[in-house]
Amino acid sequence: MSAAPASAVTIEGREVRFTNLDKVLYPAAGFTKGEVIDYYRKIAPVLLPHLKGHALTLKRYPNGVDQPFFYEKRCPVHRPDWVKTASVWSDTNNENIDFCVAADAATLAWMANLASLEIHPLLSRADKPDRPTAMVFDFDPGPPAGALDCVQAALKMHEILDHLGLQSFAKTSGGKGIHLWIPLNTPVTFAQTKQFSHGVALLMERQSPAEITSNMSKSARGGKVFIDWSQNDSHKTTAAVYSLRARETPSVSTPISWDEMRLAAKKKDPARLVFTPAQALARVKKLGDLFEPVLKLKQKLPKFDAGHIHVG
Amino acid sequence: MSESKPTSRPVWSGAISFGLISIPIRLYTAIREKRLHFRTLHDQDKMPLKQKMICPAHPTKEVSAEHMVKGYEIEKDRFVVVKPAELDAVAPKGGKAIEIQDFVELAQIDPLFFDKPYHVVPKAEGAKPFKLLLAVMQQTQRVAIAKVVLWGRENLAALRPLDDGMVLETMHFSDEVVPAQSVPGHEVNAKLDSREMKMALSLVDSLTADFDPSRYHDDYREKVLELIHKKAEGQEIVTRATTEEDAPKSGHDLVAALEASLAQAKGAAKSNGRANGRPAVHSARSARVAPHHRRRSA
Repeated sequence: MSAAPASAVTIEGREVRFTNLDKVLYPAAGFTKGEVIDYYRKIAPVLLPHLKGHALTLKRYPNGVDQPFFYEKRCPVHRPDWVKTASVWSDTNNENIDFCVAADAATLAWMANLASLEIHPLLSRADKPDRPTAMVFDFDPGPPAGALDCVQAALKMHEILDHLGLQSFAKTSGGKGIHLWIPLNTPVTFAQTKQFSHGVALLMERQSPAEITSNMSKSARGGKVFIDWSQNDSHKTTAAVYSLRARETPSVSTPISWDEMRLAAKKKDPARLVFTPAQALARVKKLGDLFEPVLKLKQKLPKFDAGHIHVG
Repeated sequence: MSESKPTSRPVWSGAISFGLISIPIRLYTAIREKRLHFRTLHDQDKMPLKQKMICPAHPTKEVSAEHMVKGYEIEKDRFVVVKPAELDAVAPKGGKAIEIQDFVELAQIDPLFFDKPYHVVPKAEGAKPFKLLLAVMQQTQRVAIAKVVLWGRENLAALRPLDDGMVLETMHFSDEVVPAQSVPGHEVNAKLDSREMKMALSLVDSLTADFDPSRYHDDYREKVLELIHKKAEGQEIVTRATTEEDAPKSGHDLVAALEASLAQAKGAAKSNGRANGRPAVHSARSARVAPHHRRRSA
């Protein structure tokens, strides 16, 4: 540990103590902990509504992105007393544990000071742990497939969901992948989202068996886009929108419009899918929160009975 | 981005008790059987068949679980009924210990006695005594015979070194082994002449090799799997019929319905080009969502 003095900053009336602000957490880019904290403070106005009420898992990189990380579900006990927590059942721990909840910018800054680069919320809110607020898909390319293959697959799924009367929203993973969110905000269970998402992934795999797989096993993924539907589960977490990602260089899981996705596909330019913290902040300033509908849009999964889908 | 996935998990955890030493260990499965399993389907609707418990005396009614008891057939059609509590009372009280009884030479144990192998791995605090036990077994070329209660059953077992680790082999008790002499036709009366013996010996000589298990495969299983994969690739996949009462449980049940729904939507879009076709729906939605996008600036 370096002996750099801790500094205290007041954010919205809360005193947050920062340590080792000069510590480089992304060595390839020379991006420091101070810059991580600064990003989370600035993105807070659009990020916080998405985290409201959701239990968070912290993904901490105490010595930077190229050193070991750990997931922290239990909110650290040495937390300031103003950090909110939510008690949620954990299958792996077999007990209720207190997760952190990010209710304000000070909490985001405090988490950033713990080198929690990535924020992974549960898909349900803590007061209704069995009800996901959205259904999600993670498009992950198995080399030599790449980011543009993910875009093609995501566009195809967007079209299918559209047919089924569901609006969907995309964000970059921060790496080569795409995350697709289908806001629900209606009474629904994880059993339903899991089954429905699996069905859609299987359908896409059946339509394009050479390009797409719904199978998690690494051997099935070579050269294909893996559509991970299995995150639709009460105890799985998924990277939050606007979360930093712990890649070699700092990138942000950034909302991206379907027009931008089509343009990236047309221009065959995967660089259009990667956003640095500065670019993500500039986009928010210009475009607002492209993920805002995810917070409010109420959608119901199509009904399924006796072998038929009832849309709308 | 999701939580880390579980790898191989221990199937049992306890301790080897060896004199005054107790070595905390975990057991891991050493054999993963690759048997093929088929479901039995109804040929008409491909529904997996269910078994029902029926009492032949009242064949129209299914017997529910609370009316089932365990009976030991003491002689034909005569039973002793035993309650679960009575069995529990005499069940082995396994102290989660593998209790070493003797050390013997491995060659003295006929392979017939071995049942199921498990890898033995010490817990952190057991590393040193584990290594000690392993080293003495390697040096003395002996294996440990132990008794252990696994999952409510008392087992005889052998602990033996394998490569640089240790394996626990569960074993059959001697009274479980069927003596060869009791098998009809066991005794063979035939005279061998020395010429035949010589020929057979030279044949064995020419076929003598080092044992290399990777040379042998389950050809039948591989052929059946190939057949299944070929049929699956040719879309020769049948989906079971759905019943009114069963809500779909997996995504597989949904695929056909999704497919049909999409085909319908596409057909409708082609024939009348109205709002239920994709392009129209899409632009209408974009217009609806757009104001949200632009309203806010941070």
